[in-house]
Amino acid sequence: MASRKPVRWHIAVFLAPAVLVYTALMIIPLFGTLAQSLMNKDATGERVFVGLQNFARLFGDAIWSDAFWNALANNTWFFVIHMLVQNPIGIALAAILSTPKLRMAAFYRTAIFIPTILSFVIVGFVWKLILSPIWGIAPGMLDAVGLKFLFAPWLGREETALTTLALVSVWQFVGIPMMLIYAALLSIPDEVIEAAEMDGITGWSQFWKIKLPLILPSIGIISILTFVGNFNAFDLIYVAQGALAGPDFSTDILGTFLYRTFFGFQLQLGDPYMGSAIAGSMFGIILVGVCIYLFGIQTRLRRYQF
Amino acid sequence: MGALELRGVTKSFGSTEVIKGVDLSVKDGEFCVFVGPSGCGKSTLLRMIAGLEDATGGDILVDGKRMNDVAPAKRELAMVFQSYALYPHLTVRDNMGLALKQAGVAKSEIKVATDRAAAMLGLEPLMGRRPAELSGGQRQRVAIGRAIVRTPKLFLFDEPLSNLDAALRVATRIEIAKLHRELKATMVYVTHDQVEAMTLADRIVVLRAGRVEQVGSPMELYNDPANTFVAGFIGSPQMNFLDAASLGLPAGKVGIRPEHLTISRDQGEIPAEVSHVEKLGGETLVYARNPQHGLLTVRLFGEHDFEVSEKVHLTLQRERMFQFDPDGQRRR
Ligand SMILES: Nc1ncnc2c1ncn2[C@@H]1O[C@H](COP(=O)(O)OP(=O)(O)OP(=O)(O)O)[C@@H](O)[C@H]1O
Ligand SMILES: [Mg+2]
Repeated sequence: MASRKPVRWHIAVFLAPAVLVYTALMIIPLFGTLAQSLMNKDATGERVFVGLQNFARLFGDAIWSDAFWNALANNTWFFVIHMLVQNPIGIALAAILSTPKLRMAAFYRTAIFIPTILSFVIVGFVWKLILSPIWGIAPGMLDAVGLKFLFAPWLGREETALTTLALVSVWQFVGIPMMLIYAALLSIPDEVIEAAEMDGITGWSQFWKIKLPLILPSIGIISILTFVGNFNAFDLIYVAQGALAGPDFSTDILGTFLYRTFFGFQLQLGDPYMGSAIAGSMFGIILVGVCIYLFGIQTRLRRYQF
Repeated sequence: MGALELRGVTKSFGSTEVIKGVDLSVKDGEFCVFVGPSGCGKSTLLRMIAGLEDATGGDILVDGKRMNDVAPAKRELAMVFQSYALYPHLTVRDNMGLALKQAGVAKSEIKVATDRAAAMLGLEPLMGRRPAELSGGQRQRVAIGRAIVRTPKLFLFDEPLSNLDAALRVATRIEIAKLHRELKATMVYVTHDQVEAMTLADRIVVLRAGRVEQVGSPMELYNDPANTFVAGFIGSPQMNFLDAASLGLPAGKVGIRPEHLTISRDQGEIPAEVSHVEKLGGETLVYARNPQHGLLTVRLFGEHDFEVSEKVHLTLQRERMFQFDPDGQRRR
């Protein structure tokens, strides 16, 4: 007797809410934006299909392409700072936190994580106040320890503004890699560490030879989260430097560039079609980055079961 | 090289005392097994010897040198863990060679040492694999290999076979015994399986609640237990305990092993009713109930037919019986 499998309606029913919400909030807007990037207004103000013309303008027309490459370069630097500063510090903090001898570990963990849950508005504004040469407390504090000569209006200088903001962002988000690595370190069984102790692998060499290889998959995930987060960043720059991302666009990243283009700012009129083209480019950049990670890196990282 | 001595060793976790003063000396080349029920402190004692746990009091000496404040790696001993504790990211060869590499031994020497250990344990075809690609028994052999490579003064094993299935357990047990003969090294082995203890040990240390109950060779413990705890712990099935007074002996308990009770359908000292029979082929276990003494186990060799609720009579082999005073200590 051949028994046919009954139609499993419950699968569709259980999936439906998530699929519907995700489609309404993510898929439709994404494809809407991508479609819009292929449109423009004609002379009469009618919406017409223009193919890749918007992209040709974005990359070919010097007015657009200079701004785009400037934003992309700044964004890349923003990402590099996070990779070189935020993630190593996060890993180091996690390694320190996971040493059993540390007292008040829970306090440090919470204290370091708190900036992550603060609003970027607060963070941006507070750091602006701290670093202000006029009424900020940074000059006074440096003066108190005799290092006043080190102070400069970091946020106001083209050479330093972007790096300063990247470091503020690092300060805010360093808790995330710390927590992820901390969890990964805790998942290494005690007996493996004890076996290393017995083998004479202690201290730093234990970290390099045993722990680090075992947390590499987590480091990979942190890297890709940082990448996606950084190339989608907008808020901190906007709060600290405004949509013009001053001084002289030196802190302009793709997010602020998109915002100015799409919605317009001060004298610049908003252009949803060019804005969509920028959004489409950002999507492409992130997609390429994520694909490189998924197919090039993640498949090579082994997950270890203990 | 590798005599171990413990002098009044104690260990407390906070206010709970887990090891309550252990004195022990293990001779060079001896195979010493710690047995005891779960939670009696076997692992804790072993970890203190290894240096993974600090002793609260007392001295731990290896070859006469006090080791209490020496780092684990400097104690020249190797430990095999119950969970194998292999490095998941390293191949079998690197797992075994890492300690030597860390110590700065030349590559060629490491290769010689790992190859020798691999040959002893039959691991040659697996040298390039990672732990995840090995079976449980293979992993345990790698863990043992990792210990051998370091040529330690003392091997410590913490229940190394308890994650293996029954057949593999027997095979690995034999392998460990063989290894001990070949290496002539001192080994301290923790188990709660008394068959492992009996078969492997030169000397067994029976622990209960952080104290040593008795130390002796397997046959000493079997033939001459110091108290009811040791008598009940060593030997399987467990020794029967009967009320001494009702047998016309001084108050206390009488212990008799199942193999030293005889059973008969028509005559004997203790009338009983068969409540269960287990036939194992080579031997038959008869569980018989007597209202006064409770359930008694009789071990018979060969196949025997007894029916449940059949009336039988049991007889003690007097010369094989142990008498214990009311505190459980052996009456001598
Ligand atoms: N880190 C610890 N903190 C507090 N108590 C502990 C700790 N480690 C062990 N103990 C306690 O010490 C006692 C002995 O533990 P131990 O692990 O030595 O037992 P064991 O004899 O090895 O038992 P098993 O056969 O189950 O492995 C137990 O009661 C346990 O609860
Ligand atoms: Mg244990």
